[in-house]
Amino acid sequence: MNDGIAGKLAKQFINSKITPLLMVASLLVGIMATFMTPREEEPQIVVPMVDLYIPYPGATPGEVELRVAKPVERTLTEIPGVDYVYSTSMPDFAVVTVRYKVGEDAEKSMVKLWSTLMKNMDKMPSGVQFPLMKKVSIDDVPVLNLTFWSKTKDPFELRKTAVEVADELKKIKNIGDVEIKGGLKRQVKIVLNKEKLQQYNVSPLQIARQVQVANSQMTAGDFKQTNQEIIVRSGRFLENASDVGNIVVGIYGASPVYLRDVASVVDGPEEVNNYNFFGWAAAAPNGSATGEYPAVTLTVAKRQGSDASKLADKVLARVDGLKKSSIPAGVTVSETRNYGATATDKVTTLLEHLLMAVVAVTIVVGFFLGWRGALVVLASVPITFALTLLIYYLLDYSLNRVTLFALIFVTGIVVDDSIIIAENIHRHFAMKRQPKLQAAITAINEVGNPTILATFTVIAAVLPMVFVSGLMGPYMSPMPIGASLAMIFSLLVALIATPWLSFRLLKTEEGHHEEYDITKTGYYKLFNTILTPFIESSFKRWLAFGVVGLMLVGAIALVPLKAVQMKMLPFDNKNEFQVIVDMPEGTALEQTARVTKEISAYLKTVPEVRSYQYYVGTNAPINFNGLVRHYYLRQAKNMGDIQVNLVPKDERKAQSHDIAKKVRAGVQQIAMRYNANAKIVEIPPGPPVMSTLVAEIYGPSQEQQIALAKQVKKVFEETPGVVDVDWMVESDQKVFNLVVNKERAAFRGVTAEQIAQTLRMSLAGMDVGVLHTDKELEPVTIQVRLPQSDRTSLQDLSGIFVQSQGMGTLTTRLRAGEMIPLSELVKVEEKIQDKSIYRKDLRRVVYVTADVAGATESPVYAMLDMDKKIEKLKVPGGYSVSPLYTANPTSEDKLSMKWDGEWQITFEVFRDLGTAFAVVLVIIYLLIIGWFQSFKTPLIMMIAIPLSLVGIIPGHMLHGAFFTATSMIGMIALAGIMVRNSVLLIDFIQIRRAEGAGLKQAVIESAAVRTRPIILTSGAVVIGSIVMLFDPIFQGLAISLIWGGVLSTILTLVVVPIVYYMVEKKSAKP
Amino acid sequence: MRMDIKKKLLLVAIPLLVAGCGNQEQGPKISQSQEPPVAVESIAVLAVKDDGGEVLLVPAKAIFHKGELSGVFVVGADNRLTVRWISTGRSMNNDFVVLSGLDKEERVVGSYSPALHEGVTVIKSVTAEDQTNE
Repeated sequence: MNDGIAGKLAKQFINSKITPLLMVASLLVGIMATFMTPREEEPQIVVPMVDLYIPYPGATPGEVELRVAKPVERTLTEIPGVDYVYSTSMPDFAVVTVRYKVGEDAEKSMVKLWSTLMKNMDKMPSGVQFPLMKKVSIDDVPVLNLTFWSKTKDPFELRKTAVEVADELKKIKNIGDVEIKGGLKRQVKIVLNKEKLQQYNVSPLQIARQVQVANSQMTAGDFKQTNQEIIVRSGRFLENASDVGNIVVGIYGASPVYLRDVASVVDGPEEVNNYNFFGWAAAAPNGSATGEYPAVTLTVAKRQGSDASKLADKVLARVDGLKKSSIPAGVTVSETRNYGATATDKVTTLLEHLLMAVVAVTIVVGFFLGWRGALVVLASVPITFALTLLIYYLLDYSLNRVTLFALIFVTGIVVDDSIIIAENIHRHFAMKRQPKLQAAITAINEVGNPTILATFTVIAAVLPMVFVSGLMGPYMSPMPIGASLAMIFSLLVALIATPWLSFRLLKTEEGHHEEYDITKTGYYKLFNTILTPFIESSFKRWLAFGVVGLMLVGAIALVPLKAVQMKMLPFDNKNEFQVIVDMPEGTALEQTARVTKEISAYLKTVPEVRSYQYYVGTNAPINFNGLVRHYYLRQAKNMGDIQVNLVPKDERKAQSHDIAKKVRAGVQQIAMRYNANAKIVEIPPGPPVMSTLVAEIYGPSQEQQIALAKQVKKVFEETPGVVDVDWMVESDQKVFNLVVNKERAAFRGVTAEQIAQTLRMSLAGMDVGVLHTDKELEPVTIQVRLPQSDRTSLQDLSGIFVQSQGMGTLTTRLRAGEMIPLSELVKVEEKIQDKSIYRKDLRRVVYVTADVAGATESPVYAMLDMDKKIEKLKVPGGYSVSPLYTANPTSEDKLSMKWDGEWQITFEVFRDLGTAFAVVLVIIYLLIIGWFQSFKTPLIMMIAIPLSLVGIIPGHMLHGAFFTATSMIGMIALAGIMVRNSVLLIDFIQIRRAEGAGLKQAVIESAAVRTRPIILTSGAVVIGSIVMLFDPIFQGLAISLIWGGVLSTILTLVVVPIVYYMVEKKSAKP
Repeated sequence: MRMDIKKKLLLVAIPLLVAGCGNQEQGPKISQSQEPPVAVESIAVLAVKDDGGEVLLVPAKAIFHKGELSGVFVVGADNRLTVRWISTGRSMNNDFVVLSGLDKEERVVGSYSPALHEGVTVIKSVTAEDQTNE
């Protein structure tokens, strides 16, 4: 036999001094890389998403849509690489969200977006203000939340403390954004006194103007004197509240009117605009306070590419240091989120699992090859992983659950090359036909080339997964890349290190001394008895095929029978979840706070809950899910968020998903009482979507869309298993429209703008400047507004005055400065606030959203269930609306509905994986044709692929697990592994036949000789996968590999030789 | 850590089907503390008053402040106290107009005392003065 590549390589290295050095060096760099690679829990995902906020003050949603949203959307869709454009047109402004195709460069996309937008700014109607452009990035998600709470301090003091701490923390290296949620800022409030204003003849607008002009200081210039430049400066900034009070706002009679005469100037906390409370719950540490305390949250984000756990440790250490200085005694700082710790935890657990997998595999190898063989295999695994970790580091991957899972996933596979080589060397040593060195090289030559081919078939199987598109892509890509890299390294290790190690470690002395005879081994006898009847009787052969075929059909039938359900990804076991409370639009802040508080009080009694914190009027610190769902915009008065922290997962029995399911009923019962909508939001295991179930309703008019949406929503509510039903239609909110009587205003010398500004100042308040004080870290605004007691009803508006600009005609003469009551100039119209208009990809849409839990956990089944009911709905025009799955509706003339949400991603992923699988099959086919130079043989080998389904699907049923995207990955990877087994099997048959053995003899012999390596390698895959069974997400992958591996290995060993025999029978010599 | 060892043991035993999990669950430690009921002078029932539009009044003495926050103690159906944050408008005699946070016919502790806190049960010591200012 000529030396192949494998043999040549082995010859070079088997006795080289460089081999051990290479091994040690690889190990060292790998260890270094492990410590240097940043650790995270979630993979770094670039969500190329940009939010545009375009203000158009005064415009109704319809106008905003027509003049701003539509034209902007149109221009944005022209940009190459833009995937989706969403918009929401609200009163006064539009939010346009642009989603790029995943993988587009974020910076370049921003530039493109900016230039396109600027190019079209001239086409915007006047009144549209400059757009605000915000890139949404994963690094905006805080990795560490610190809650400052206190029994004695109020929100104002808490915020002050938090701001000081934040200022200190900002100095830490690699820290990203530091934000403060909740609390009240310092503000100088100019609270107007209506009676005094009238008495002194001063209007609110006048005050605003006076404060603004008084709050200025500038360098006037300089002059020269005796060779010196002297700078002249004039004006003085307002530095404190008494400065503000001393501003002269008018002249009354002969004396000046000071601001303090007509208004009270209060320096203190701003008006309450949020409620943020923290409390320990049922599972709190012993001795914790039982109440509920005002809180302020400090959120810390990390800089891109830095290590979350290192940063968190540094921040915590710094905060500890500050406890003596900046943080007063009464304030407690509790850690309410630490992704650094969870990341370290996850990474450590995974590394442990990895180790366990390696140990388990080694033990299996040990059973077959003895401890020396096991040692050879054991030594080769760390080298492979060390090199893979090095590549991770070089490719800027972080150590996260996906990259590490890629390693665990391949543990069973990477040992295979070493096992095959070591096993064959072992066999040849045992045969004792040649001297030791010669035997080793022959052994390597014998299996080397099929091993290379086999490795490439496995790579061919996993690598196409890189092409999974959409948001799921970045989640998955580290798997195929990591796995492929590990495979290549394992091949190199198997060809370089394994021979070196085997040559030194494997003994030749053991075993019997007589000439090796295959027919005497147990394997041969076994296969002889199993295979002979099938080879000899074609009836039995066909019977066997029939049985296998039936098993396959039976297994596949489990899917339509719903014994195994499909789902994108199951829920992970996390330590937190959120409750999102939406009150009807127009609900007062205190009412929202009350409902949120009541729900929190219920959550407090749940035994697994450690602590909770509710945020009303301001959003809770977002997580990745909130980032995509735009939860950072949840700052309205009718919205409340509850952050629920559970006890760490190893201290509780229940999975977070089960706890969420359990509390849902209780939470919604409370919400229902107040007409609120409460949703339990869990952190999704994969890419977040707007909601698990989303029905997009398109149609000719908003009224018709809403009417249909209402019916669809009802269908949702009536379907078992569908929970958290909501829609994106605001409830009716009362609006008092103050219409300016233009004629009267003109006669009184008042402009419409004056009226609008006065009203705004009186009700919402108006910021007229900032206090120039160098002690405050946060800017202190100066705000003019009416006291709350003077703005509770329309009657209160009667006491507000505007100042006339003067007016002179032939008949009337009105001097400037006359005070005109507002009530004289406006007419009140009561109406319902216009609803926001949502658009997606240039079409108007109304969303109905829901989640699934309980009866069905997989949205697809709920969707199929509801399809029938939705088709029966009556719509004007008398046609039926059949929900669309993949395509957008062709026209908007008729009402139509499309499913979105998790379905969209599921569809994309399974489509891409399906395509990948097809490509895999073709590549494998081509690879084997190239090797065996036959069109028929590859087909025989590929028979093993569908056989894996016999194990995979019933396996899922046994575990009661979903068939998920990871199951699919397992199935694809298994295709590679199974073909490799066939390759090894048939390669040996052909070698034996070439050596002159009869077909039957060759078939049985091959089965006998190859059983050990095949069982070993498949066993390694199976054993290596067991650790993954414990992970909720990768369970599917493990089940596929374990059950698919076991079943198809057994079937391959029997079916492939028989088929080969049958096919080759005709051409073979008897 | 204990569980990891357990897991390892399970793994070495090749438990294909068993997914062992869980430690002893920590029992709930703090639930509703059983404190003796506190006597309060009065419990006011909130009523609507017509003042050119419906307004809800709450006794000025019932309101307490935490910095800028104003709150009252609401007496629940089970006589348990909860803190309710409210926003108040103008004052009328000894009352304040409640703008948000309370519903009519809710019961609040008529006069705030620092001894009160969330979760305690209250009993009336003196007869309630009905706040229905008809």
